[in-house]
Amino acid sequence: MSARADILGKLGTAAPPPGTAEALLADPVRPAVAGDRVATFLTALALPASGATHERIGSVAEAPAAVARYLAEHALPPAVFVPDDPRLAADWSGFALSLAITPDEPAVIAWARLGIAETGSLVFETGPHAPMLPNFLGLHHIVLLPETAIVAHLEDAALPGPQPRAHYWVTGVSGTTDIEGQYIRGAHGPRFLHVLVVGER
Amino acid sequence: MSAAFSKRVDAALADPILKIAVERTAGTAEAKRAIAVDAFAQFEAARTRAAAIKDHVVAHLGYYLEQFETAATSAGAHVHYARTADEACKIVIDICKAAGARTVARSKSMMGEEIGLPHALAEAGIGRVETDLAEHIIQLADERPSHIVWPAMHKTSEQVSALFKQHHALPHSEETIPAMAESARRHLRQGMLGADVGISGANFLVADSGAVCTVTNEGNAELSLVPPRVHIVTAGIEKLVPSMGHAVQLLRLLARSATGATLTQYTTFYTGPKRAADPDGPDAMHIVLIDNGRSAMREDGLAEMLRCIRCGACMNHCVVFRQIGGHAYGGTYPGPMGAVLTPALDGLAASRDLPNACTLNGKCQEVCPVKIPLPTLLRGWREKSWREGLEPATMRQGIAAWAWVAQRPRLYRLAVRAAIFGMRRFGRGWIRTLPLASGWTAHRDLPAPDSESFMNRYARGER
Ligand code: SF4
Repeated sequence: MSARADILGKLGTAAPPPGTAEALLADPVRPAVAGDRVATFLTALALPASGATHERIGSVAEAPAAVARYLAEHALPPAVFVPDDPRLAADWSGFALSLAITPDEPAVIAWARLGIAETGSLVFETGPHAPMLPNFLGLHHIVLLPETAIVAHLEDAALPGPQPRAHYWVTGVSGTTDIEGQYIRGAHGPRFLHVLVVGER
Repeated sequence: MSAAFSKRVDAALADPILKIAVERTAGTAEAKRAIAVDAFAQFEAARTRAAAIKDHVVAHLGYYLEQFETAATSAGAHVHYARTADEACKIVIDICKAAGARTVARSKSMMGEEIGLPHALAEAGIGRVETDLAEHIIQLADERPSHIVWPAMHKTSEQVSALFKQHHALPHSEETIPAMAESARRHLRQGMLGADVGISGANFLVADSGAVCTVTNEGNAELSLVPPRVHIVTAGIEKLVPSMGHAVQLLRLLARSATGATLTQYTTFYTGPKRAADPDGPDAMHIVLIDNGRSAMREDGLAEMLRCIRCGACMNHCVVFRQIGGHAYGGTYPGPMGAVLTPALDGLAASRDLPNACTLNGKCQEVCPVKIPLPTLLRGWREKSWREGLEPATMRQGIAAWAWVAQRPRLYRLAVRAAIFGMRRFGRGWIRTLPLASGWTAHRDLPAPDSESFMNRYARGER
């Protein structure tokens, strides 16, 4: 007998009574997000466990200037990797742009579809214009997030319909506690996370 | 006590470095978890819900497996089933060979350890890059994990430093932990980007979408799984959840119980291979669904153990684990959850000592985010061991005697009460002698029990 038939035969494949799985989604037990979602998100983002910074800007057009300021503050040259993502369309001519991602990319720009107030997480999906690897290779991860796209809870992050290859949530900078439990930033992924919250000015 | 187990325990107890290393990490984890639990007012209700979600899935495992298989297949993944560890390894090795793989990048997975994948890859002549920092450390040391969340917990920074200096091309020059982590970052990056196959486990398998969810704090899973041509997932069949909405309720508890965070840094759902127009991602995705004794556990009174989400809290809070570390347990999984799982995976005759190496203080059950009644399951193994005549006729001192007492509730309650009384007289949190546990306390201080014992509360029905 095939392993599949054997395992499914032992387990049985009868469906659960209708509604039982759904009942376990009702009234999810989760921390309350009361009041201003944007403020809650920014507070979570700044917690030591997350270790991220942010700046509020009025439009995507203001992003290049904000990125230039950020890089200067960190004594980095004006060089970034900007993926071919139409949501990031702006005048990046003041930067040296990497055409292909390199293993030691100093700064990477990305667009997040959503922010989650409960945890300060950023939500990304892969797609024809949204590569995944750069978001993990860069030392500084600079993420544009529309202010209107900040939702309350993890449950709100699900993408309806057919799923992309990867759907991922980034909550703060890469970290490890693998050596004597001591927290270290930037284990493999980005050591710095900076969010540009794009308003509607 | 079997000689092999006694020897491992004695060696662990006599190793002063080990106790320091284990205390550093487990102590930090315990403190961080306490803060996170205090900050989540509904933690208790969340545990009840999480246990109900897992029970629902375990009761209908076959249904959700089929649903997952259908969804994952239509997203372009290949789904395989394995009854045993050997079958699972063979499937993985065959996929690697068909892909012409010379090296694989592996993102920490206890399932990989359970099936013996590192060994199988070595036998097949396939290079292996462990990308989780702790797994990298123990790969260099040629050891096994000693904890399910912090596999290198038994290593001090001094030992890690020596390993990195021996093996890294450009090791750290400064003797600090950040400098050591930086050395590993440099060293591992090429290995991750140059691998032919990426292998991961799964924290959750989402039945309605066919997605595989991994969580890491380092970001090594993503760096190991995006660049290679092939992504292979090895997952226990109990990892299923009906939907993402069910997964997030468990994720909230997993992060808080493991590291005290509200969510792991990187939570990724992979659904099938790279789409035609995607700029990156693997060309093929294979998911190996592994039984390896789980369906039998469900029938044999261990269904509750299949709730486990591998957070590690039970071992961080276990007085025995904190004394002897993970290796002394001798199985893939250490601590209280390991003492329940190992007899199911490796056979009771070979591991009957593990359920005995327990004080039944109930701490593990109190912290378990999915409310697994670990002490009850351990007692079940002890009774089975006695019924099957596996226990020697004469019990000796130490743990065996303690176990013998614990089998007699009246004696056990008296012994624990005596210990509480003794502690109060010393007026400290630690005691040096505990009745009937002289085998332990000759080497180590036993932490004093809470002022009221679990058994007292248990007797009053406050489980
Ligand atoms: S038994 Fe409970 S506490 Fe222990 S690892 Fe599993 S889920 Fe965590």
